[in-house]
Amino acid sequence: MKMTLNINRKEHEVDIKGHETLLEVLRDQLGMTGTKTSCNESECGACTVIIGKKATLSCITLVANVAGEEVTTIEGLAKGEELHPVQQAFLDNGAAQCGFCIPGMIMSCTALLNNNPNPTQEEMEYALDGNICRCTGYLKIFEAIRDAGGRLSEMEAPKESTFYRHTPETVSSKS
Amino acid sequence: MQTINKDYVNPVGKSVPKIDGKGIVTGQIKYVFDVNLPNMLVGKMLRSPHPHARILSIDTSKAEKLPGVKAIVTSKDTHLIKYGSNEYFFPHTVDQLPLEDEKVRYIGDEIGAVAAVDEETAEEALKLIDVKYELLPAVFDMEDAMKPGAPAIHEAMNNIAVILPVNFGNADRALKESDYIREDIFRTQAAAHSSMEPHVCIGQWENFSNKITLWSSSQAPFKCRESLAKCLKMDLNDVRVIKLAVGGGFGSKLEMLPMDFAACLLSQKAGGLPVKITYTREEEFSFSRRKHGMIYKLKSGVKKDGTLMVMTGEVIADGGAYCSYGPTVIAAAIMRTFMVYKIKNFRINGYRVYTNNPISGAIRGFGGVQSGFSVESHIDMLAKGIGMDPVEFRMKNATDPNMVTINKMYLSSNGLKECITKATEAADWKNKHGKMRNMSRGIGIGIAADVMGSKMYKSHESAGSIVKVEEDGSVYLFTGAADTGQGSNTALSQIAAHELGVSYSRIRCKSGDTEITPFDTGSFASRVTFISGNATKRAANDAKKQILSVVAEEFKAAIEDLDIIAEQVVNKKDNSVIMNFDKALDLCYSFNYGRQIIGRGSYNPKTTPVDFRTAEGNVSGSYGFEAQIAEVEVDRETGQVKIIKMWDAHDIGKAINPQAVIGQIEGSMAMGIGYTLYEDLKFKNGRVVNANFANYRLPKSLGTPPMETILIETIDPEGPFGAKGMGEASLLPTSAAIANAIEDAVGVRIKELPITPDKILKALKEKEEQERLKSPETPVSAARG
Amino acid sequence: MLLNPLTFYAPQSLQEATKLYASLSEARILAGGTFLLNSLKLLKRKGLKTPQNIISLRKVEELKGVKFAGDSLSIGSITVINDLFNSAHLTDNLAILRTVCRNISTNPIRNMATIGGNLTSRYTWTELGAPLIALEAMLNFVGPNGEQEQISVEEFFKNGAKATKILSHVSIRRDKTATVSYYRVKKMSDVDVPLLGVCIKTNFIGDRFSKTRVCINNTITFAQRDSVLEEFLEKSEASKNIPQEALEHLNTAIYDNRSDDYKKAMFRVAIKRALADLIGRKK
Repeated sequence: MKMTLNINRKEHEVDIKGHETLLEVLRDQLGMTGTKTSCNESECGACTVIIGKKATLSCITLVANVAGEEVTTIEGLAKGEELHPVQQAFLDNGAAQCGFCIPGMIMSCTALLNNNPNPTQEEMEYALDGNICRCTGYLKIFEAIRDAGGRLSEMEAPKESTFYRHTPETVSSKS
Repeated sequence: MQTINKDYVNPVGKSVPKIDGKGIVTGQIKYVFDVNLPNMLVGKMLRSPHPHARILSIDTSKAEKLPGVKAIVTSKDTHLIKYGSNEYFFPHTVDQLPLEDEKVRYIGDEIGAVAAVDEETAEEALKLIDVKYELLPAVFDMEDAMKPGAPAIHEAMNNIAVILPVNFGNADRALKESDYIREDIFRTQAAAHSSMEPHVCIGQWENFSNKITLWSSSQAPFKCRESLAKCLKMDLNDVRVIKLAVGGGFGSKLEMLPMDFAACLLSQKAGGLPVKITYTREEEFSFSRRKHGMIYKLKSGVKKDGTLMVMTGEVIADGGAYCSYGPTVIAAAIMRTFMVYKIKNFRINGYRVYTNNPISGAIRGFGGVQSGFSVESHIDMLAKGIGMDPVEFRMKNATDPNMVTINKMYLSSNGLKECITKATEAADWKNKHGKMRNMSRGIGIGIAADVMGSKMYKSHESAGSIVKVEEDGSVYLFTGAADTGQGSNTALSQIAAHELGVSYSRIRCKSGDTEITPFDTGSFASRVTFISGNATKRAANDAKKQILSVVAEEFKAAIEDLDIIAEQVVNKKDNSVIMNFDKALDLCYSFNYGRQIIGRGSYNPKTTPVDFRTAEGNVSGSYGFEAQIAEVEVDRETGQVKIIKMWDAHDIGKAINPQAVIGQIEGSMAMGIGYTLYEDLKFKNGRVVNANFANYRLPKSLGTPPMETILIETIDPEGPFGAKGMGEASLLPTSAAIANAIEDAVGVRIKELPITPDKILKALKEKEEQERLKSPETPVSAARG
Repeated sequence: MLLNPLTFYAPQSLQEATKLYASLSEARILAGGTFLLNSLKLLKRKGLKTPQNIISLRKVEELKGVKFAGDSLSIGSITVINDLFNSAHLTDNLAILRTVCRNISTNPIRNMATIGGNLTSRYTWTELGAPLIALEAMLNFVGPNGEQEQISVEEFFKNGAKATKILSHVSIRRDKTATVSYYRVKKMSDVDVPLLGVCIKTNFIGDRFSKTRVCINNTITFAQRDSVLEEFLEKSEASKNIPQEALEHLNTAIYDNRSDDYKKAMFRVAIKRALADLIGRKK
């Protein structure tokens, strides 16, 4: 079955089968391996992409079902060489260790911040409760979200006296 | 010409971003999981459905005829050479075949493999293979397995693969001299590593040149190469093992699995086509490795003044079907106590037992998590028994810097007492301990120590590094160390840049490719920063000397007077700048000199041989120390535990990258919380019954407590820039800190992990009952009524 | 491939969907897919047969959204959990749905799973079951010729009736005089799967309970009411002692059937806490 997939603001003509998942088509057909497979049964969040505005699990999404909808994957965040603020914040805050959960995690964080640039601790915890990270213990990820939220707010409403607070050396011993 | 980031000059001690961080956050970095080669076949393992059986016959003829099947291998395609993990110290524990030949010993034991054009065909082919078994009686309980008459799983007497009798001083006399003695039995459960990237490998056999390439998600590519070469009868330089980005290992990817051999053998049979084998999550839970469940029996004595006189007991570990890293796990589970407590009398026998359960192996903490829970809970109870504050008790008995332990370990730098002091200050121990029970809140401590640069696997445990400086001043670091996500490539690049005197932004790092990087035993035992770090520092220093020798020659200066500091070649005599680094490289690669800058370094930790029959010897080049505190609140009605906050003070020598160090500590604590409260890999007749994330719960964002980390820098005399290892020690005290805090909160002691709500409720009920019986106001009969 | 081959249908209207559903054999409705896709994968792994025809409702716009129709809240059957959670209409007795929705599974699942799917997947745990019974919610089904059928959520679970029509929406009457509480216990800790839940609704008249509904979510049976406890509460005055006293008036069978000791105890804790919360909310 031929269909057009709208991925990262680009149209892809693909030949799919009715029983193929979005995850399979992304990784195996389009070679977009940024989106990960880890449990393949909707428990870990490694396969998270954004469909429309919502963080969605591509392992339990039939590709045929997203015809005409806008899919954003980890490959679609950076603009050219410039990292997306969420990606930059993950990098600067040491929020990634092995990195295998990170694409899914970043997609969940991006969806959260797009709707709510200043989430509370509780909102962050609920927004990420479907993304398992075995390495970090999540605290640096929370720091990254707070940092990215600040950056996104600055981008939206640039203030003259904004102090760009994050330098790579800044590290707090308290988390 | 490079863009040099001046912020990253002198990078040691700075929280520079991960060297591969951009690849990770953009999804561009490649894991073996992501690699697809042209004409690649899909491999699947043929596994035993029985926990214990003799293989009578394997008939693959039907499967071979299935269209799309390209190769099938069984033990007949191997040399029947066994591999293992402790060949040097425990040669008799080398007990696993690449593909089993006569017997299967657990559900999932690998006896063959299939390669086909796609997964469906491979799975179909597995079903067509006819294996005839003669079922044998199986044993799943470790204590049953040790009884006479239990089914013999290997040749080991009473299924005891390793006996470790550790005996120092005079335990019996010390018990007699003690004022207070207590006995406790602790039990810990099996757990799963749960790396987010499952085990995966691609094998390719170049038939004509007879060379193997194995891409493997591995923590120890050189160990992998060693076993492949040995079992397939190849030369080391004909076996290339490539590690790409690794999506977590935590010990599970430290040794080879039969799939690694199978992928190569299948490729050979399929005429050299690459074969990829990927574990599903269910296979990952069921057929990789797991944490040893242990029984830890302790009987110890103390003096009234709080002197820890003696510790005796027995440790039994459920090893499952094969030995894996079991010997060192049980050794480490016993020996860690010496690093923590000044104890003169000690007698503990360790038994590592075969059962027909899945294989237990290495996992972050190497037996230290099980012993940490047991010993540190026991210590709290000993302190309570003589009415002493558990912190005071630990301070009184904790080891000191520059001391030799009873088993001849040399603890040079040792910040243990400072860790305890700083952690208790931060947590406000004095005002909290024993004072929050009215709110069902409590606070508990655990302390630990770990080897940081040990020799426990080979005769030598060296690491090598090469620092190559290119014409344009860019620097390539080649290290055999395997970054599995913890950030060793970053830390080693920082060390290289710092020693070379240049910005971290100049460094690119290639790690863990056995064909092009120097040898390194791998990522385990928190050894990389210390051992590979020293090798890297030496390599960078060598490269620097080569550059300076050219400058010295050109300017007729003495090389000893020159140095490279912050991107400049300087004359130390008058602090004058001779030229910048780029110019110096122009000179090295100029018409006249044309001198290649290739620095090399190798490091082997200074240790003394350990006799594992007695546990005597200085096993490690440095030792790291740790104190951890948990504050908890217990819901007395539901038995559920909420962690209010964790504190961790860690002597890491020197933090090469504070942010990464803190990240390791936080990740360890989270893992420790999971293991303490809910992670539990369950078996029924040898089969894992909760082989998925729905039923094997991992720590999630919800309920993650705040954590406060305090880094203690003791500057180890042997460590690169004073650094020791880290990454595992923070997991060791967590369970006991939480258990001790629960005791402080509601007065019940749970001696069996995981500490689930039903165990707490049961203990609370029993306690209530006991108190009622004791209470003089309530007649016994009324209480019972 | 993780799934067996199937024929995928994406009707654009409810009418088209109902006709397809009636005409195709072996057809399964695909709403959010969080239950269906996992079960199809599991069936395939076990080598079992899977349905041939999958009818996705994703493009049926008329089944989406949360709106008021008079005094009744209408929740389109393919409204996802998070959209219900974020709806501005959840006030008065309906406010409890926010608490309920937040605790369903995980965020990406809440973004995908639908109200209809949650109720009709016949999974052993249906988070919305007890609260919707407490709120006296009605399920509205539509057949191939536009014929409509309304059935209460309570009936639906009681009979375990298999729907042959398509669920179009759930309707719940807004009740400004009702007080509702929901207490849920997870198995071991914050990160774990649910063990049980208790939802209690009443219309306090002074200090007296009236029109009380006590509903239980369980992991092994469908949501059901405890009429014994309801009767007791109807006769009682809302006092501090009621949560404790209530434990003497339970229909014990629905709590204790196939429950281990811990679960039995937790049902009682949940009853106590839900009641205490309910009484605490009394105006």
